[in-house]
Order: sequence, then structure tokens, then C-alpha cells
Amino acid sequence: MSSTAHDADLTRLGARVGVLKVHWSDRVGHAILILAAVALAYFLLLPLAAILVKSVQDKAGEFIGLANFTEYFRTPALARSIWNSVWVSALVTAITIPLAFTFAYALTRSCMRFKVLFRNVALVPILAPSLLAAISFIFWFGNQGLLKGLLMGGQIYGAGGIVISMVFATFPHALMILVTALSLTDARLYEAADALGTRAARKFWTITVPGAKYGLISAAMVVFTYALSDFGIPKVIGGNFNMLATDIFKLVIGMQDFSKGAVVAIILLVPVAVTYVVDHWVQKRQSALLSARSVPYVPRPSRGFDWAMTGYCVLIGALLLAVLGMAVYGSFVKLWPYNLSISLDHYKMGLVEAGIFDAYVNSVTLGAWCALFGAVFIFGVAYLLEKTRGLDAFRPFVRLMAVLPMGVPGMVLGLGYIFFFVREANPLHFLYGSMAILVINTIVHYYTSSHLTALTALKQIDAEFESVSASLKVPFWRTFFRVTVPVCLPSMLDVSRYLFVNAMTTVSAVVFLYSPKTMLASVAIVNLDEAGDIGAAAAMATLIVATSALVCVAYYFLQVWLEGRTQRWRG
Amino acid sequence: MGEFLELTGIRKEFGDFAALKGVSLGVRQGELLCFLGPSGCGKTTLLRIVAGLEVQTAGTIMQAGRDISRLPPMERDYGIVFQSYALFPNLSVADNVAYGLVNRKMARPQRDARVAELLQLVGLPDAGRKYPSMLSGGQQQRIAIARALATSPGLLLLDEPLSALDARVRVRLRGEIRNLQQRVGITTILVTHDQEEALSMADRIVVMKEGEIEQIGTPEEVYTRPATPFVADFVGKTNLLPAAPAGSDGVQVGPQRFACTVNGAAGEGKLRLFFRPEDVVVRGVDGATANSAAATVEKVEFLGAFSRITFRLAGIEQPLTADLSLNDMAEFHPKPGDTLRIAVPADRMRVFAA
Repeated sequence: MSSTAHDADLTRLGARVGVLKVHWSDRVGHAILILAAVALAYFLLLPLAAILVKSVQDKAGEFIGLANFTEYFRTPALARSIWNSVWVSALVTAITIPLAFTFAYALTRSCMRFKVLFRNVALVPILAPSLLAAISFIFWFGNQGLLKGLLMGGQIYGAGGIVISMVFATFPHALMILVTALSLTDARLYEAADALGTRAARKFWTITVPGAKYGLISAAMVVFTYALSDFGIPKVIGGNFNMLATDIFKLVIGMQDFSKGAVVAIILLVPVAVTYVVDHWVQKRQSALLSARSVPYVPRPSRGFDWAMTGYCVLIGALLLAVLGMAVYGSFVKLWPYNLSISLDHYKMGLVEAGIFDAYVNSVTLGAWCALFGAVFIFGVAYLLEKTRGLDAFRPFVRLMAVLPMGVPGMVLGLGYIFFFVREANPLHFLYGSMAILVINTIVHYYTSSHLTALTALKQIDAEFESVSASLKVPFWRTFFRVTVPVCLPSMLDVSRYLFVNAMTTVSAVVFLYSPKTMLASVAIVNLDEAGDIGAAAAMATLIVATSALVCVAYYFLQVWLEGRTQRWRG
Repeated sequence: MGEFLELTGIRKEFGDFAALKGVSLGVRQGELLCFLGPSGCGKTTLLRIVAGLEVQTAGTIMQAGRDISRLPPMERDYGIVFQSYALFPNLSVADNVAYGLVNRKMARPQRDARVAELLQLVGLPDAGRKYPSMLSGGQQQRIAIARALATSPGLLLLDEPLSALDARVRVRLRGEIRNLQQRVGITTILVTHDQEEALSMADRIVVMKEGEIEQIGTPEEVYTRPATPFVADFVGKTNLLPAAPAGSDGVQVGPQRFACTVNGAAGEGKLRLFFRPEDVVVRGVDGATANSAAATVEKVEFLGAFSRITFRLAGIEQPLTADLSLNDMAEFHPKPGDTLRIAVPADRMRVFAA
């Protein structure tokens, strides 16, 4: 045999080894996945790259190496913000996670009554912009606060006010993740433990906590990065206490120092690497907790435990409502604290007559687009990633992009969008200042949590559905629409609602991106507060809460209706 | 050649680990072939390769004269049933069964008739309107089989289909699946770690160990003439004794010589002697009987249709077992400490190189 013929043989063998021909229906999936990945890269990676570039340029756009960084660290007031941001966020995480876990435990593992009520009360902070907590604590403990005396000469403006406001704001975010994690346990594990005579404490540490480990780590990361990147709270209640997020705003909007702003943004980005590594590590250890044959856990009544859990939930619920209630009350008070009579002045004069009501309309529009387009896109990508085959080398890259946004603070993302889209050379420059860029930015900003929710739901489904379909010669999309979507619809609605509400309430990313035409309600609050019009700010915050609440009620009835329809097969 | 499905030199490597080390075998038209082995032997990987759900590192697969080695699952011709059933929970039983038919643009009345026919076939004619969650595990598994058969595939793949079921259902379903398979006449591969299941259902068994085939044969061949000590030990109960060569017609175990056929294993070095507990004879055995010895009874276990006696032979350290029928028990009623004369017919013994 000649050597060329031999080589040809080897090549043919090589082509055979380890690769299957791709069916055309799978190519459709691959094409969609690649398109989605390109979109994610364009609206996530490139803006981030733009920040990197800006950080090594001077004001004229000349390359100056790391000079901006050196200068930054030589400015003690700026460098101190790093430490401030880190310890405040760590403290917020350490307080929020145990509080939320206990609450989630009560909701999923006890037989206390009024669970639906408690759950909805606990989720109330999610309906509000984070600023609302800060405004409310100013009404409670500020210079003219109702309970200022309790601080014994101390100040709510500063780290204390920031931490307590952030715990309020992050609580429901952690709670949602933990409730999902705790709902996923197979009852048979507990039955097995009971059969072995295992004590409650041991069951808790050997079954409950390991089962919820994935959720606990996710929740901690979400809370930490939320606290690190939140801009509204330190802006309103931080006083002279500086954090990275407020520094970016001051540098970029106040001092127009884009390069320095980019430096702070990069410093704020450091947690991204940590987030991704941790998530990757956890996910490798996470297998589907529920198989097709799993038995859902049904808690059994236990008087003492149920009452203790009820007591805990009443206490937390009352505290949450007190924070919300004060902001609402403040919005109706004529002139705090001198004239406490109730009026609609702040709504009529402060908002409508001042011409800021359009901002509210814009926010609702933004929310609707995110809820519809975002949920479909995110769920579709999660499905293609998790349940289809092929493109093996490409998938880790898409997965990385899906979890990346969790570690990208809104301020950083917003800044990246300015740098990237403001350039007229950008083919999508026309998006700049439009509603579309706000929609895209918001979906990307809240991508990760939604993606994880979708992923969790998808992992609950039998892994062999796609194999069975392929053996029956049914293309994957038919199974997607006929089986996967109906089974996952409750989770999809959750994602959709989550996106709507966050679009209503977010400040940090969009604060850089709105134009006069697309001013948003949450941003208007910042401006009103800055102008000293805290009554109108509270009124706008109240409007946002009311709208979000209304939308959530609508989603709730949708879920109830859906449950009624699917009750038959859920068995 | 002439096999319906032909696997040649199938290798599968996961990184450094070789899950399959060059497996070749043929499946005949209409037979039920069983991949049997302990977990980790590669049997499920091999099935998934046949299905196109895993890709072999090397090797070819021919099905009905067609090279399917590189075809995606959609272009192969098989129905598959998983241990988890994988029934679509939101579709009725009838819709599950019809799932593959809908795509073939079959007319509605024809489709309904086919579904009814299949439900009849698996013995659940009235289940059509129910949802999977309303059925028992065994019923769900039968629906999964009906769904796999609906499109009349040329090959049926069963991946540990009975492992999730309780023992009684499993035994009953074993017979039903076998019966169904023979009536439909569909070529079937069954993966299982349960030797009883393999023995009772299969036309032929492929015994696998660590990514290699140990033996292919009918249940009877595998049981009575195991090719290797592993097969002897994995299928059925076995006595395996270290032995030394003793001429061309026997082996030496301690002070005891056993006459038996030594085949190719004969030669130098260490050997292993194999016989099954039920091959031990006690009736009509005396000093003159070939291969007889005095056994000291150590333990008697009542197992219903028979009793298992654990005993020792003088000079042999390893305890041995014998299964005695109720009749034998009534006649000899051995108790721990008793001495009993036993024999093993020469043609029931097999010798392996150790």
C-alpha cells in the first residue's frame, strides 16, 4: 500500500471516530444557539471590553497603560471605597441569607397557615426600587425621623442605613432562590432517614442543607453582588459613606472622568471571576435532584415547630411591611414632619404637574417588553443549552455568558453600554437613547437569575425526553413546545414576572442610558431625592410598588388558572 | 454475516478510561439479546452507542445491511425504553403512545386504531385517557413499551426496564415483555444486571465485564458451560476451588482428587475447579462412587423449594455449598455437625486456568 493511500485511509478513519452526522433538525437548534450566543456576546462581552479599553486611555483617547489605575490607588478617598463596598456587602449577605433561609424553610417545610400570604408579604420588597427602603428609613430614622431618638444621637445616614436598607432589598431575592432549592427535595430521602430513626437536626444537616446547597451558594452570590453593585441605596441614605457604585456615578456623571469611571468599574468587576468559578464548581456537583419517579415532599404538622415558624414569619413580615408602609405613608403626608395631614399633593403637583409622569409610563413599557421577550429568549437558550446535543466545545462559552451577568454590577453594564454604543462607528449606534437599548440592557442585567430558574426547572424534567423523541423521529422543537414548555410554564411565568418587576425597579444600569424621551420612574426617584423633594420621590416609589403588585396579582391568577388546568396530569 | 445488527470493534473512551475495549457481536433477526454484567461493565454505554446517544471512539455498527455508525438517533431505526420510563407527564397515555405517529402524518382514525391496538397489546386497553401519574410503575413501563413499538421500529432497546419495579411486578412483567417480543417478533436488546432476568427472558446472553465480552451464548450454555470463572460466578450460585493439575482426566484440590474433563485448561500452573450447588449428589452415594467424599455439615439454610447446605471437605479450607431437594432433606435430614457422603458427577465439573 502506498503511503498516500494509507494516509487517505487514516483520514477516513479519523472522520469516523467520535463524531456523528448531525441531523438537519439539530442544525436548526445549533443555528439558534449560535445566534443567541452572538447576541449575548454583542450585548454583554463587547460593552465590557469597551470598559477595558477606556480604562487604559486618557481623556483624549490615547493609550496610557495603567496610569489611570496608579492614579486611582493614589487617591485614598477612592481606594477606601473598595473596602467599604466589600465589608458592607459581606455583612448584608451574612444577615440576609440566614433570615431568608429560615423564612424559606417555614414556607416549604412547615404546616403553618397563611403560607401564601407570608410568601407574598416577604416578596414585597422586590416590588419596590431599592431606593424605597432608603427613603423609608429616612422617614423612620432620618434627621426628622419618627424614631430618631432610638439611635441615641447616632445617624442613619452612612453604613448602618445602607446595610439595613440592603437587607430589606435583598431579602426576597435570596428567598426566591432558597424556596426553589428547598422545594426540590425528594420525600423518599426523608422517609429513608425516618426509617433509620434519624433525629430532626441530623436530617436537617444531612439532607436539607446538602439538597439546598446549590441554592444557598447561588443566593449568597446574588445578595453579595446585589449589595456590591446597588447604586440607589448608598446614593440616598449613604451620606458621606462612599462605595464603588456611587463613585462611578460621581466620576462619570459628576466629573465626566470616563477613564477613572472605567477603572472603578473594572475593580467592581473582580467578583465576576469568583462568581463564575464558584458557580462552575457547584454545578459540576449538582445532578438532577428530582427524577421522574421522585416523590414530592409533603410536610407533616408539628404544633411547636409550626407555631415557631408562624411567629418568625409574622415578625419578619411585620418589619417588611413597616418599611414599605412608611414610604407609602410619607408619599401622602402634606409636609413631613410639620404638616402630617393626608393629601395627594405629591402625586398631583410633584409628579403629574411637574411632567415626570411620562417616566412612569416608560417604566411600564420597559417592563412589558422585558417580561415577554426576555422570558422567551432566556428560557429558549437555557433549553438549547441543557437539552440538545452537539456543539460541545461551544457550550461552555455560552454557559459562561449566561452566568456572567450575575457578577456584572448594573453600574458597570450601563457604563459599558455608553462606551460601546455611543460610538457612531457601532452598527447598532441607532439604539443609543432608545427604549430598545433599555430593554436589552435590562434583560442582560437580570439574565443570570432568570437563567438559573429556567435551568432548575429544566433539570427537574426527565433527561431522556429528548432521546425518546429522537428515537421516535420527532424533532426536538415539537417536544419543546408540546412537553417542555407546558411542564415548565410555571417557572417561565416566574421568570417573566421577575423581569417585569426588575425592569420597573432597576436604577443602576439604566441611570446611564436613559434619554429625555425614555426617562424611567426609578431614575426619577433619584433625581427627586437629589432635588430634596422626598415626598414626590416617595410618591413615585409608591406608584412603582403598586404597579408591580398589581402585575404580580395578575400573574398569580394566571398561575392559579394554570394549576387548575394542569392538575389532572400533575396527579 | 447475515446478522440483523452487527457491531464490530466498538471502543469507547472517556478520557483515559476505556469503557468499551473493542466489542464485536451480532444480533440475529427477531431474537432477544441480553447484555448482562455488573454495573460499570459498559453494557449501558454499548446500548446507548447502538441508539446513537453516545458516540463510539472507534468501531462500526451495521443494522439491516446499513452502516449506521455515524447516523444521528433521528436517522436510526429503533424504539427505546428507559428505566425511568420517560413518559411525557402532561400528555395522556394515548397521546404518549401516539407521539411518534403524529409526526408521520398518519390520518387520525388510523392513528387512533394503532394506539388502541398497542394498548391492547400491552394489556392496558382502557388506559388511553389517563395520565401517566395515575398509573402504577409497571403500567407506566408497559405504556413506554407501547410508545416505543408504535412506529414499528426494526429494533427495540430496553435499558434496565424492570429495575425500578418491585419484585412481583418485575417477575410478571418479565414474562409479559418476553411474550410481547415474541408475538411482535421484534429484534430486541435488553440491558440488565439481573442474571435471573437475563436467563428467563433472553434467546442469547452477552456477559460483559470491564468493557469486554466474557461469553456469548444461550441462557443454558452460559449457565451450564460458563466460559470463564467470572461468568460462572456472576450467573447463578457457584463453588469455585483453587486446584492443581492431576493428569489428563482430573484435578487435585488439597488431599482430594476429582476426576473430570480438563479440556484446554489442562497444563501447568494453577487451575480453578467449578461446580454448582445443585450438582452435588447425596442419594445413592457410597465409598465407591466417583468423586465422592465425606462432608462435614456446617450450616443448613431452608430456602423453600430446596435447602442450601454449607459444608467442608477434609483438608480443604474453603467452605462449599450444596442445594438439596426437599426429598433429599427428608431422607438424610442433615444437621450442623453431621457427616454426609457427597459426590459431584464428573460431567458437571469444569476446570479453568486460574
